[in-house]
Amino acid sequence: MKKVISVVLCLGLTMGMMAGCGAKEENEGSRQITFMIPDWGVPNDELLAEFTEETGIDVVINEVSWDDIRDKIAIAASGGSSAADVVEVDWSWVGEFYAADWLEEIELPEEEKADMPTLDTFTVEGKTLAVPYANDYRLSYYNTVQYKEAGIQSPPKTWDEVYENAKILKEAKVVDYPFAIPLNAEEAATTSLIWLAYTMNGVVFNGDGTLNRDSVLAALNYEEKMLQEELIDPSDKTSSGMDAYRRLLSGDAGFMTGPTSFAARSSNSEECSVVGQIEPILVPGKIGNSEHTMALPEAIGITKFSKNKEDAETFVKWYTSPKMQKELYKTNSAIPTHNTVLEELISDGTITDSGAMLEEAKRISSPFPNGVPSYYSEMSNAIYNAVNKMALGELTSEEAFAEMDGKITELAGK
Amino acid sequence: MMKKALPYLLLAPMMIIMGVLVFYPVIETFSYSLKKWKLTAPGDISFVGLGNYVSVLKSPSFWYSLQNTLFLLAVVVLFTTIISIAVALFLNVESRVSGLMLAAAVLPWALPPYVNGVLWKFIMSSGYGFLNKLLITLHVTDQPVEWLSSRWLLLLAVALVVTWRSIPFMALVCLAGRKALPGSLYEAARIDGGSSFQIFRKITVPLMLPFVGIGITSTSVTAVNVFDEIVALSGMGDLGKNIVVESYLTTFSFLDFGKGSAITYLVMLLAGILGIFYLRSLNREVMYG
Amino acid sequence: MKIKKGYWIFMILFLICTVGPFVWGFLISVTPEYGMFGKSSSLLPEQITWDNYKILLGGGRQGQLFFTGMLNSLKAVALTLLLGMPAALLSAYALARMEFQGRKLIKNMLLITMVIPVMATIIPIYRIYADYQLLDNIFWLSVIYVSALLPVTTWLISNYFATIPKELEEAALVDGCGRMRAFLRIILPASGPVVVSAALILFLNTWSQFQIPLILASSLATKPVAVVTSEFMTKDAVQYGITAAAGICAVVPPAVLALGLRRFLISGMMGGAVKE
Repeated sequence: MKKVISVVLCLGLTMGMMAGCGAKEENEGSRQITFMIPDWGVPNDELLAEFTEETGIDVVINEVSWDDIRDKIAIAASGGSSAADVVEVDWSWVGEFYAADWLEEIELPEEEKADMPTLDTFTVEGKTLAVPYANDYRLSYYNTVQYKEAGIQSPPKTWDEVYENAKILKEAKVVDYPFAIPLNAEEAATTSLIWLAYTMNGVVFNGDGTLNRDSVLAALNYEEKMLQEELIDPSDKTSSGMDAYRRLLSGDAGFMTGPTSFAARSSNSEECSVVGQIEPILVPGKIGNSEHTMALPEAIGITKFSKNKEDAETFVKWYTSPKMQKELYKTNSAIPTHNTVLEELISDGTITDSGAMLEEAKRISSPFPNGVPSYYSEMSNAIYNAVNKMALGELTSEEAFAEMDGKITELAGK
Repeated sequence: MMKKALPYLLLAPMMIIMGVLVFYPVIETFSYSLKKWKLTAPGDISFVGLGNYVSVLKSPSFWYSLQNTLFLLAVVVLFTTIISIAVALFLNVESRVSGLMLAAAVLPWALPPYVNGVLWKFIMSSGYGFLNKLLITLHVTDQPVEWLSSRWLLLLAVALVVTWRSIPFMALVCLAGRKALPGSLYEAARIDGGSSFQIFRKITVPLMLPFVGIGITSTSVTAVNVFDEIVALSGMGDLGKNIVVESYLTTFSFLDFGKGSAITYLVMLLAGILGIFYLRSLNREVMYG
Repeated sequence: MKIKKGYWIFMILFLICTVGPFVWGFLISVTPEYGMFGKSSSLLPEQITWDNYKILLGGGRQGQLFFTGMLNSLKAVALTLLLGMPAALLSAYALARMEFQGRKLIKNMLLITMVIPVMATIIPIYRIYADYQLLDNIFWLSVIYVSALLPVTTWLISNYFATIPKELEEAALVDGCGRMRAFLRIILPASGPVVVSAALILFLNTWSQFQIPLILASSLATKPVAVVTSEFMTKDAVQYGITAAAGICAVVPPAVLALGLRRFLISGMMGGAVKE
């Protein structure tokens, strides 16, 4: 028995020694900032070295997954400390972060502001709270080969056409479930309903923050109709939004409105089995292509409790500069937020298979008339749960609307 | 003097660690739960007494989540206990492969809960899941079954996944308990002419009880605190949420630290009631002659 | 003979249930991404790709992340064992074999902490750690794991100690040994099996820690493999293949350990405490 114990102890000791070597060293003299960002925003070492050389500021990267960043910022801020000097700020967090007073205002030159339509989302009461580094707006995609097979001549311009085409695709047995849309109880179901209502009717919320009944109910009815006629895969009700979108890539759906990144994904043979068949088109609308599309950009901001605000600001400006945006597209495939950069990348052939990408980018506007509200996550929770219950057949579209409307009216009234 | 201090000295490292990292934080969290404290309203923090508890207990959403929690608790504890004892007795049989079996038995335990949930999502998901592919291949059904889209099926799936993860620990504890039983007792019983079943009922079961007790306690606590598996299998939607998901949503999603802490305390209260119930059985000290 | 047959049947069932999900996870890890979402009902992938393993075990960015994560987990396990085992052994000895005031109270207080969920402590712990700059540090993370695992391990060991005949220790005391020497020379050597079991419990529970490091560890240098694996499933790029591959690889160290210790576990337990 002694042998066992000594083996265990020896094992423990050697591993403990290894752990000791891992202790981090702190050099007090140099300037250092921390940067908390999900994996897709991590700049590569060469770019960082360039920045350090230019400015003398060391950047320590904390790569943390997207939803955990918010938790960490919240816990840290509740105790008056900062999770990091510069942090990821998703568009949906802005209202909450502003109300909680966690972000430092950032000054930007006017011409830079004008070039970034998505900056609007991160501006509250005239204050810029974060600067977007990666764009993502809703773009529609359709499978040209499937459409041809079913005898449909042109891509859909209106939501009614999308529905009619889906029926034709199904009847012609080209594809079982032609329409893909996230309906699981998660954020993607909320944003889907918002952009559907927004592109269909140009309005989602009333001036007082409550839901616009006609518009949202029309969108819900549309989803319900698609579900009842089995044009949407039942698995979209329970799998993640990403899985729903990806049905386009496996040829299991003929039409999808989703993230901008699918333009690139659909031409990547590792991810897509129908390469060359997918074309990005303008999002449909009521009587013609929608004049609006919703953007879901990501930005970085400086935390209020940061002790290195000046260095942090230098970093934020460098990271979101047009020059860096080109680099970040190459290394991280981040879609530029500066429209001039996007234009340049498309015209010089860096971005291929872009389809309607650039044209759609010019139609970006925010569906929130008063900015993203400070109760966004509670609102989103109410919306996606109601949508999911409708998808599962527990509620009719009317009831689903009543459920979310009740909650949102209560939240907006506070 | 030295002699009197010795036990306290031996307990000191444990007590310091527990004091700083468990008892102090738990009291601190209780003080949060008595406050109106929403991070999105930093100017509006005040003491509200039991106000948060009242508002939580009044919300139908909490009672719905509580039902789910109780369902998970019942199913997980029942399955885990029965299967673990069987596995422990199985591992106790000496054979050429028993070592290998032991290694296989602990595998599920080494899996982080979240990865565990993801692994099972591969099996249960309605699109690309193994279970559906199997059923279709065997011609049991020709349409994929939606395991995760009705409340009780979803909860049952979650319960099975949690059971799968909880068995190794409890089986190992039971095995340790079984090994601690002196062989002489069995010999004596056999000489007295006891049948295998009688020996199992009269000796194995009662003497293993304390070990089963700690296994059940720990499994109950695990079952009340299920979180990652639910999130991996169905996300944070209303359908399958338990009170821990409710508390996470309130605290971190809605940033309501006051109400969130109150829900956490209610979770603890539930686990605590079970805990005290078991403490009695645990305190029956194991003494052989 | 009848018992033998039942044994083998149970074994096969047992293996299907424990190892089966891993096999399926492995199949997922070698299926190309688009193949997973296809409607095909075939159980085996039509095409096999080793890319996910090449990425994980290669020197690329994700490979490095994963490797560092494994190393971090091992370090955390080592520290947890180093801190947790002595603390648990000493406490268990005092609780099982000594009479003193408050014994029962202390034992109950320790056991009742088993019911405390992570959520009830994590925010204050974060604040303490932020104040004293202990965040992002494997050693201090391990201390929390120890606090979470002490109740179970102490209880398990003390129950075992209680089964060691009193006479053995009394004889040593009569021979003039002090309590501590009796503990080291009589009790400890007789407790091999439970020490191994407790060490295994500490190892496995530390290995699968998730929520605590999720909140308290942000940097690459501290994140355990469980968190790294979960991060392959991000908001916009759910990489099932890599996640499955990482899950499978992450189970290797504990599996190897359990295999290596199996001789000690089985034979140790048989010849253990109660030598007649």
